[in-house]
Amino acid sequence: MARINPDFAKEIFKYGNDDFNACYNCGNCTAVCSLSDKDNSFPRKMVRATVLGLDEKITSSLDPWLCYYCGDCATTCPRQANPGELMMSLRRWLTAKYDWTGLSGLMYKSLFFSLFSFIAVAIAVILFSAQLSFNTEAIMHFGHQFEMWAIIAVFTLIITPNLARMWWFVILKPDIKVKFKTYFREFKELLIHMFTQKRTLGCDDSQTRWFMHLVLVFGYLALLFTTVVLDWFGTENLFIILLGYVESIAILVITFIFVIGRIKQNREVNKFSQPSDWFFVIWLFLLGFTAFIVRGFIDLSIIETNLWLYLFHLIVLVQWALIIVPFGKWTHFLYRSFAMYFEKVKQAL
Amino acid sequence: MKNKIGVYICMCGSNISDYVDVEKVKAVAEKIDGVHVAKTTMFACADSTQQEIENDIKEQNLDAIVVASCSPKLHLYTFRNVAIRGGINPYNYVQVNIREQGSWAHSNTPPLATEKAINLVKGGIERVKHSKELTPIKIPSVNAAAVIGAGIAGMRAALELAEMGTTVHLIEREHFVGGRTSQWNVLFTTNETGQEVITRLYHQINSHRKITLYTGTEIIEKKGSVGEFNLTLKIKPRYIKPDCKLDKEKLEKAIAVCPIEVDDDFNFNITKRKAIYKNFDSEFPEIPAIDSELCNKCGECVKICDDIDLNQLPEEKIISVGAIQLCTGFNPYEPTKGEFGYKEIDNVITLQQFKRLIELNGAKLIYNNKEIKNIAYIYCVGSRQIDGPNKYCSRYCCTSAIHTSVLVKKKYPHINNFHFNRGIRTYGKQEKLYHEASEAGDIFLQSFEEAPPQVEKTGNETIVKIKDILTANEELEVCADLVVLVTGMVPREYEGIVHLLKVPLGRDKFFNEVHPKLRPVETVIDGVMISGACQAPLNITESVKSALAAGSKVNSLISSGEIELEPTMAIVHNDRCNWCDECTNACPYNAISKVIVKGKELAEVSKALCKGCGMCLPVCPVNAIDLIGYTDIEMESMIEALVN
Repeated sequence: MARINPDFAKEIFKYGNDDFNACYNCGNCTAVCSLSDKDNSFPRKMVRATVLGLDEKITSSLDPWLCYYCGDCATTCPRQANPGELMMSLRRWLTAKYDWTGLSGLMYKSLFFSLFSFIAVAIAVILFSAQLSFNTEAIMHFGHQFEMWAIIAVFTLIITPNLARMWWFVILKPDIKVKFKTYFREFKELLIHMFTQKRTLGCDDSQTRWFMHLVLVFGYLALLFTTVVLDWFGTENLFIILLGYVESIAILVITFIFVIGRIKQNREVNKFSQPSDWFFVIWLFLLGFTAFIVRGFIDLSIIETNLWLYLFHLIVLVQWALIIVPFGKWTHFLYRSFAMYFEKVKQAL
Repeated sequence: MKNKIGVYICMCGSNISDYVDVEKVKAVAEKIDGVHVAKTTMFACADSTQQEIENDIKEQNLDAIVVASCSPKLHLYTFRNVAIRGGINPYNYVQVNIREQGSWAHSNTPPLATEKAINLVKGGIERVKHSKELTPIKIPSVNAAAVIGAGIAGMRAALELAEMGTTVHLIEREHFVGGRTSQWNVLFTTNETGQEVITRLYHQINSHRKITLYTGTEIIEKKGSVGEFNLTLKIKPRYIKPDCKLDKEKLEKAIAVCPIEVDDDFNFNITKRKAIYKNFDSEFPEIPAIDSELCNKCGECVKICDDIDLNQLPEEKIISVGAIQLCTGFNPYEPTKGEFGYKEIDNVITLQQFKRLIELNGAKLIYNNKEIKNIAYIYCVGSRQIDGPNKYCSRYCCTSAIHTSVLVKKKYPHINNFHFNRGIRTYGKQEKLYHEASEAGDIFLQSFEEAPPQVEKTGNETIVKIKDILTANEELEVCADLVVLVTGMVPREYEGIVHLLKVPLGRDKFFNEVHPKLRPVETVIDGVMISGACQAPLNITESVKSALAAGSKVNSLISSGEIELEPTMAIVHNDRCNWCDECTNACPYNAISKVIVKGKELAEVSKALCKGCGMCLPVCPVNAIDLIGYTDIEMESMIEALVN
């Protein structure tokens, strides 16, 4: 027996949607959703669980991750309860719930806290550079080292434990019996969804959204590889240099289009932007943009005299790696694909 | 005997002709003695066909007509008017129903449907042969009406009638006007309070010279019938000197010293009042009253306030009216002990009590010394019952409960409202309230009738549980500080009026109209109209609409000074009657009485009261009663035709 908790709805308000109480359970949203099916019927059930404050139902559910936000439900809703944005808000809430540090929740709920951390990180980078006497070579060497160590640290300390918590919430805690070998058999699902996001194609809206997102994902991962492993800023190899340019252009063009979309609010998916959405898309743009300029300055041999540019790039990079990746919107890259994986694992019973 | 009869067989498009061979019916009809012309027609009710029948009557000098078509309930008057336009008496027309009783009823067996249609038409022709020319009866009427019940419906009807020129006697059983409306605070959609609305109406009524208001008054006797009812009123004493200039201070003291204290029914028994009382500050009439049934005449109040006179006596008065409009309203359903914990768990109250509670409470909402945070509303209490007698939906309660929850949340924003409903029926504009409540965070939980919510007391907590069909039948619970039973409307417990006026009650025990669509405010008793919540559960808007409709009906009936009645009625053959009383017992309308003519006791039928129902005919042992329009010879010849 579950006790109704109206305070939960007020908690969700802080993660975005505050219209869902208007829902009168007609189910149009679920009927119109092209991804909802017999096994995973959404978004009405999630709206209902939120209204009633049945938070355990939401924590153990994968439904929010299975929605790719075409917005059909929101345009069909006769009560303007905006179920699509609620699913988005629940993804934010789940991200906070999975995060053992609790920092994600603070970031989502408090713009002040987010700005504070961004500023603190920026100051730390500048102070650290001062300690290196603003020596360009030393700072650039540090930047390269930082990337590798940050990836290792964030993954071991934050992301891996959080994924384990997700696993605990959706499979272990609800006591779903899964055979060990099923995890191996279904592992391909994880990789497919991580690198293709093919489920987006099931959405009824334009498929260019999927294509741009795919280019962005590959551009981002490739640029990461190019800078960290191939040492883009240090290499003399013309092919790698050009590859880096292409990747950073891909990132900055696509994120620019996304930013413009969010400003114009021309589609259901970008009508409602929370600070976390702005940070994610703007910082990704800045990453691509500053990387591109930095490499340009290197090629023009004017980087030594323009250290400020590299410092700016480094600040963006550190903020990205220490704030947005572990505690911000970046994690949806993993949670979405793990959700598809766990869903397959559950269905394989 | 009519012997130039026109017979018209209608196809009703194909409604009749698909199953009944209309040509065959026509062939049989035209061979019957006395039939001058027989025709089939696509639509008998079409203007062109009406014209054709009219011309046939004129050109071929027809003396009677038969139309075999649909039910007379639909087109009796259509063809009676055709007869009048053609120049024959409308009662020389007989309608035969070969659609509802023919083609529709026997669509599986067309040959038998045809055979039945032939027999019915034969019967109709035989009947019309013996039909007589009849003229409607006219009786005089007084242009005065009694409006019973001075709630919102009665007050509004009284004003409307008076404006149209009818003298109105507005009769209220209580000492104060306003009825239920005065008990509600803010009303949807205007946001006026019930008291404000009543105050406005009271001033208008009081200043209208054609309206006489009687409070504390009941009808104890009724004589006469439509056109002239003589009603005896019993007016209870108010025990306050009339025309006195009330000293409010003294009066307050007088109320304070009154030793008698009872539950205050104005506040649905959540507070107490004295034997001397008034319900709210500006209530009307503005003079307080002493409850004569409670007062023990101890005289304590008289010592303080010399405006009080305990020696007043009840008065009787006879008024004469042409028609009566009943606006006697409703009672809220009183839950049985233990129904959802009512009267067993201390924080279970009804919606009506809750509405008063909100009005009486100040900055904090407190009940039983406990501040209220979670309120559970349980819907359909006493309505839509499966086992109980109240099968109907009370219609106003969903909206009222939601409206109350919106108001309470505005007054006390920290409150959580939980609505345990069986499907929300906030029709029309009221849907906006439902939307407003949901948006404000009210939670709606729904169950079917067979699994109602459960209210339990565990320790200090009152728990309401439900298997919510909107959450896949999951069992959910709320810890409620207050459980509000959303009780519907039930008819008042009428004693006098129902027996005096013989107003028919429906299966739901509310007053019954003649036809819910075609004659929605009239009763089968001529001159008695019904309106407001005495007829069915209605909200204020709907009550006022029906009050105005009934008011217009009353006015159009009596204002010309003359009332036309159907000539179809019972007639006593004095030579055969030897008064045995059987017919008076059989008459549902009290239309037959004993008279003595030349020393002989005879039964006499009142023209104004007789409805021509025919109940008295079969019980007469000497067959002394005939029904005009349905005389024995007409009926017998019809039966003869049917069985041969």
